[in-house]
Amino acid sequence: MTNVARTGQTLLIVASSMLFAAFTSAMVVRRATGTDWIAPSVPVWLWAAALLALSASWLVMRGLYRPAALCGFLLVASQIAYAASLRMGDVAQSFAAVLVTAHAAHALFGACALWWKGERASLFWHFAGALWLYVLWLIGVWA
Amino acid sequence: MQVAILIAALAGATVLLFVQPAWWLPEAISAHAKNYDSHLLLTLWVIGVLFVIAQALLAITVFRFRDRGQQPSAVEGNHKLELIWTTTTAVIFIGLAIAGQGIWAGVHLRSSADALKIEVLAKQFAWSYRYAGPDGAFARTDVKAIDDAGGNPFGVVGGDDIIAPILRVPAGRPVELLLKSRDVIHNFFVRELRIKQDVVPGMTIPLRFTADKPGAYEVPCSELCGLGHHQMRGTLVVMPPEEFDAWLREGAVR
Amino acid sequence: MTIFSTDHKVIGKQYIGLSLFAVLIGMALSLVMRYHLVHPDAKVRLFQMLWPDGAPGGQMTPELYLSLMTMHGTIMVFFVLTTAPQSGFGNYFLPLQIGAHDMAFPVLNMLSFWTTALSFLVLMAAFVVEGGAPLSGWTAYPPLSALGKIAGPGQGLGQDLWVLSIALFCVASLMAAINFIATIIELRAPGVGYFDMPLTAWAWFVTALISLFAFAVLLAGGILLLLDRVAGTSFFIPGGLVVSDQIQARSGGSPILFQHLFWFFGHPEVYIAILPGMGVISTVLSVFSGKKVFGYRAMAYALLAIGGLGFLVWGHHMFISGMSPYSSVAFSVLTLAIGVPSAIKTFNWIATLWGGRIRFTAAMLYALGFVSLFITGGVTGLVLGQPGLDLYFHDTYFVVAHFHLIMGVAAIFAIFAALHYWFPLLYGRFLNETLGKIHFYGTFIGVYAVFVPLHFAGIAGNPRRYPDFKEYEFLKSLMPLHVGVTHAAYSLAAIQLLFFFNYFWSQRKGKLADKNPWGAATREWTHD
Repeated sequence: MTNVARTGQTLLIVASSMLFAAFTSAMVVRRATGTDWIAPSVPVWLWAAALLALSASWLVMRGLYRPAALCGFLLVASQIAYAASLRMGDVAQSFAAVLVTAHAAHALFGACALWWKGERASLFWHFAGALWLYVLWLIGVWA
Repeated sequence: MQVAILIAALAGATVLLFVQPAWWLPEAISAHAKNYDSHLLLTLWVIGVLFVIAQALLAITVFRFRDRGQQPSAVEGNHKLELIWTTTTAVIFIGLAIAGQGIWAGVHLRSSADALKIEVLAKQFAWSYRYAGPDGAFARTDVKAIDDAGGNPFGVVGGDDIIAPILRVPAGRPVELLLKSRDVIHNFFVRELRIKQDVVPGMTIPLRFTADKPGAYEVPCSELCGLGHHQMRGTLVVMPPEEFDAWLREGAVR
Repeated sequence: MTIFSTDHKVIGKQYIGLSLFAVLIGMALSLVMRYHLVHPDAKVRLFQMLWPDGAPGGQMTPELYLSLMTMHGTIMVFFVLTTAPQSGFGNYFLPLQIGAHDMAFPVLNMLSFWTTALSFLVLMAAFVVEGGAPLSGWTAYPPLSALGKIAGPGQGLGQDLWVLSIALFCVASLMAAINFIATIIELRAPGVGYFDMPLTAWAWFVTALISLFAFAVLLAGGILLLLDRVAGTSFFIPGGLVVSDQIQARSGGSPILFQHLFWFFGHPEVYIAILPGMGVISTVLSVFSGKKVFGYRAMAYALLAIGGLGFLVWGHHMFISGMSPYSSVAFSVLTLAIGVPSAIKTFNWIATLWGGRIRFTAAMLYALGFVSLFITGGVTGLVLGQPGLDLYFHDTYFVVAHFHLIMGVAAIFAIFAALHYWFPLLYGRFLNETLGKIHFYGTFIGVYAVFVPLHFAGIAGNPRRYPDFKEYEFLKSLMPLHVGVTHAAYSLAAIQLLFFFNYFWSQRKGKLADKNPWGAATREWTHD
């Protein structure tokens, strides 16, 4: 990977982190100020989707970019299925939907990048995987 | 060179406008408002002096070093000078910030237990006020009981509250407003009291003042609230205490 | 010149072109607003032709006025002040100044311009949809902006398009920010260290860093606001609201939460608009006084200090919002602290001139005008930064005067200075100097005549965002002031035509420029 590509990806990671930081702080504030917070339920299969992210990262490290991308697409599909099951009228669920959908957009971008660009997209993919663990923790444990 | 003169002229004209202002603050009708005015005047003096020094320095420099074929000096910096003006401005700026905390604290950080509590309700595009009746407490409210045409914008259920379209307060007695909104953000502003507070739906925000001078004062909504924002005019009437007490008793009977 | 070019020079010019087009619309809107404020009952055929629903019989409705105001602010802040100084001039000159062959990611660069252009089109579309443009101001505070059509005309589809436009603009700005930072970190020519870069490059660098953090947060706020509008969520809408006699089925949201997200972006945005201008001014002052920038390193550190502190002061927009009064105390001290690096810059500019040989080119005149306006607009920040004093001045014309001078007009003067200074590189010709000087004098006097009197409207307590002043006794007495300001605004706008004529005429007929005609020392002039 060239220096330019790595720096660019690092900056993209900073911007994405900032986006999720903003969502997180909104969520923290909203939970503290409202009286209507009911923790969303996270199905077991969504936890299992974390394995997809991790195995994609493992495949990336082995140089198997297209299989990794396939894992990524599966992850996106499971995220969309989960987000579609949430009720937007409920505040905790709507936050979960926002976080998961925002992550799905990142994962889709990352998986496409793995498919077409291979090794050059690896840094972003690892970030996306770690970000997914964070989102799962946020909606599944913290909330 | 003309530009140096122009900078000086425009800065001078600005200062003149402030020295001989055609429009200024309205009368101050509370102790807080008087404190406010004196701190504002102090601040305006400080920034006025800074303004004059900076603009004059600029104009004089431009005039003095206009192109007359001279050789430019090769100075690239002067740490001592930079340190001096950095420290000076820092001291002045932070000093002002600290000196001004008193008027903020007076409105928001100190409360008086015996204040007369009045609930203020803002909606698109009108103000309503509610006083506790002889039972000394505010009655329960319910959004379903809201009836604007029937004179019940609060949705009060039961009780003996007094609801009024004009804010009446007794002169010389501390008042605590409890600001509420029914729809969007509004803003309660009384120029003569030098207080301004957003009225945020979902919150009850306290605002304290003691008005000393009887009279009627305009309350312009000061947070954009929709197409009638500029017509959301409230009225504050400061009454002599005995007249206020009589008015409140009369309201309770009705 | 291809339309979807990936050449940084073409993209830079495209950004500048978009800004100049946007500023014409923004300025026209401000004239219509100023006209309406002093002739609130006039029936104008043109208004009826432009906005049949908003001005029935030519009589402007309050909602039309408010929608013009919203669009004026949005266009000026995003598509003029954020677009030209950073993306316009930065794209064109940053690679040249640091010896890079192009930006780090040329395709991304092209995409970010076209996303910006699309964002502009989406915003303009709000004018023609049912209900017209939104009326909740460029700050779009919920619940007003979140409730939909029920909150007023323009709050339906118009507001949807507004939020969408801002979200697109955020994405475009993030792409641009990544590109700028990567270019500076990775593509500096051998031997060009960070402290060898001109202050313009430093300013673009810091601005890009600010954008990277700020626009991501605005994007989050925009997404949540859009969901409140279209998906029935309650992020910013509290429970128990009764709007137009209808009980709203939402619960628990916090309007102030949006303000925190918005101003966490919104205050740094002020610096996004002004820092590139500061860089340009430092350069122009140095070139035309024949001296190096006084205290170069202090200037670079001041840029960084402003950029960093800029993220800690957003609360000064919210002193009276209902947030904790204790946090106001902290925000006010930080706010006045950020005045210090700004004051350092002012003194260093004057010290740059001191001992020099000042050549009064048009570019130099704008730069001197910038410094004067920066002082005039800056000192009133010491009033507004104190929560105690903000108790009266918040949302009055005092604020309008303050931010127009320091953020609006000062940044525009920097754009004028930059165009006059760099025109020989942009088009191989000079902008006409005589026309430029006449335009400068007219504009300089004009902005003082428009904005200094507005401080007095603020001191008298005049709230901003009022479509007319008929309802209040104390506002009626301010009418002579507003009439004067409106006339000054007409003159100020008229003199701008001179600039636009000069800009287009000189591209073809201007005096041909030699290589490095100003005798500058930076790479864009000295290298091929």
